[in-house]
Amino acid sequence: MTGQALLTIAVVVVLVFLLVRLIPGDPVKVMLGIQYTPEAAAALREQLNLDKSIPEQFLLYVGGLLRGDLGESTAQPGRSVADIIAESLPATAAVAITGIVFGVIIGVLLGLLAALSKKRGVDVSVRTFSMLTFSVPAFLVALLLILVFSLTLGWLPAGGWPGTWPENIPYLVLPAIALSTTMSTLITRTVRQAAIDTQGQQFMEAAFMRGLPGRVLNLKHTLPNSLLPVLTLVGISIGTLLTGAIIVEAVFGIPGIGQEMSQAVSRRDYPVVQGIALVSAIAVVVSGYLVEIAYTFVDPRARTL
Amino acid sequence: MIDMTGTMPTDDALAPRRAFGLAWLRAGVGASSSRIIGASVFVLIVLMCVFIPIFYPYGPNEFVAPPLQAPSWAHPFGTDSVGRDVFLRTFAGGRVDLSAAVIVTLFAIVVGTLLGTLAGSSRMRWVDSVIMRIVDAVLAFPLVILLLALVVVVGPDTQWGPAPPGLPAAMIALMCVMWSGYARVARGQALALRDSDFVLAGRVAGLSNGRIVTRHIAPGVSRITMALAVSDIVLVVVILSSLPFLGAGVQAPAAEWGSIMYEGRAFLRQAWWITICPGIVLAATGLSLSFVADSLLDSRRTK
Repeated sequence: MTGQALLTIAVVVVLVFLLVRLIPGDPVKVMLGIQYTPEAAAALREQLNLDKSIPEQFLLYVGGLLRGDLGESTAQPGRSVADIIAESLPATAAVAITGIVFGVIIGVLLGLLAALSKKRGVDVSVRTFSMLTFSVPAFLVALLLILVFSLTLGWLPAGGWPGTWPENIPYLVLPAIALSTTMSTLITRTVRQAAIDTQGQQFMEAAFMRGLPGRVLNLKHTLPNSLLPVLTLVGISIGTLLTGAIIVEAVFGIPGIGQEMSQAVSRRDYPVVQGIALVSAIAVVVSGYLVEIAYTFVDPRARTL
Repeated sequence: MIDMTGTMPTDDALAPRRAFGLAWLRAGVGASSSRIIGASVFVLIVLMCVFIPIFYPYGPNEFVAPPLQAPSWAHPFGTDSVGRDVFLRTFAGGRVDLSAAVIVTLFAIVVGTLLGTLAGSSRMRWVDSVIMRIVDAVLAFPLVILLLALVVVVGPDTQWGPAPPGLPAAMIALMCVMWSGYARVARGQALALRDSDFVLAGRVAGLSNGRIVTRHIAPGVSRITMALAVSDIVLVVVILSSLPFLGAGVQAPAAEWGSIMYEGRAFLRQAWWITICPGIVLAATGLSLSFVADSLLDSRRTK
């Protein structure tokens, strides 16, 4: 398990390293665009170590990574990529974490509702609703929320980010709801399936035979067993969640990783693009790994003897 | 689940099939009502995308009425900030989104299934390891971040036949990423099939490796892949239409669902229809395909 995660991170590092080297033609020319002069090109080439041989470049790159050095932005001279990421991460993390919390609450409730309800209509409507939220892009949900809750009702701000707590909270609500729709769809389906599976188990039948009331059955047996797969799901969806957070941030104008990334894309700021790609991929691998470890604590059955 | 009738459960996904037999048709147009509804709505949207731009007397970039007009009989989705017809632009944009999604998904299916089958059926361990570690790494990146990075690599201004500016880079980036999911599915299936009895029988009967892979393993793999392809078309459309919000994707003034809604966002207060009407068509497309994908997956599970 540990070996697998480390190997994946190693391949991620190689892929990110290769990104710049795969630019057809001269990467420096592409990065500088209309600001191209031979002097600027030579300086940039030196800054990015592109004047050295490929194996040398790779060693320098990996060496830098091990020291926590992700290079320096080419569009904002003097700012290191690590600083840029560290400054924009808190906003993205706030949106993503609130999004997970909302998504888990909505998803678990809807999933249990669909699985436990005796009426087929409830099940069908929950499934249709979750399919609808799956098919509607997060940015469209975000725009709808702005239209209804900001422009029409005037309850919450349509965007922006004061940057201080607790002033950020009202600015966080709509982005988090927009982000939670993608998560809650997956969670609803998973919880529904897990709850249905749990109810078919023999221990449920035994508990029912002992005369436990339905409320106890649902709260003490169905709920915990349905929550286990949610943990795994959240772990493996960190990437999806980051993708959603970045898009939602862009719609609400929140200065997070997404804004830095799209600015870097438009300025062709390669070190920043590389740095964000690398850090986010490693974050995904590490969080997946941590969830797998956490799982063995929560569910004794998953422990390997 | 215990089979009450006492018959052996048959797993038809494992049986060898002709690549283009009738089973395809049956799997695609089964009796499920949600699948029929989903498929009909999707076909209707496709037909509208094909025919509405042909029969309209003007083009999607022509100024036909005063700007920001509310929906009316003449302009069912109203007009945008410069007086273009949003109804026409929506369905002209649908052509771009849907054809890009189909092309990207087909490419991903072919490349991903080939590589995954190769990884799963190869007797050389290193082939499997190399391919699958690359798949793991590609899947580790948050999709949008990898796409944006690739868009810079490809160059946002890359030209590609009649495609509107910005689309080629987005499509190439999507192609570089989307294959990985299919490779993982195909490998799992190929591994299960590789050691199954009928493949062994084929080997004993002296069939060549190539024949076993193409005639016996690949059809079983692609049946499952098809169900995933339908929901991937939704994913590609969703991602493609999200890219303009991140400064990538199809560039204005070309009509594409994402670019229309991105332009409309600035006028959300005065003219909600510029954003919401294309959004409804996009949601209907996604929902109809999700119905089809859901029923395909369901019928596999409960047969």
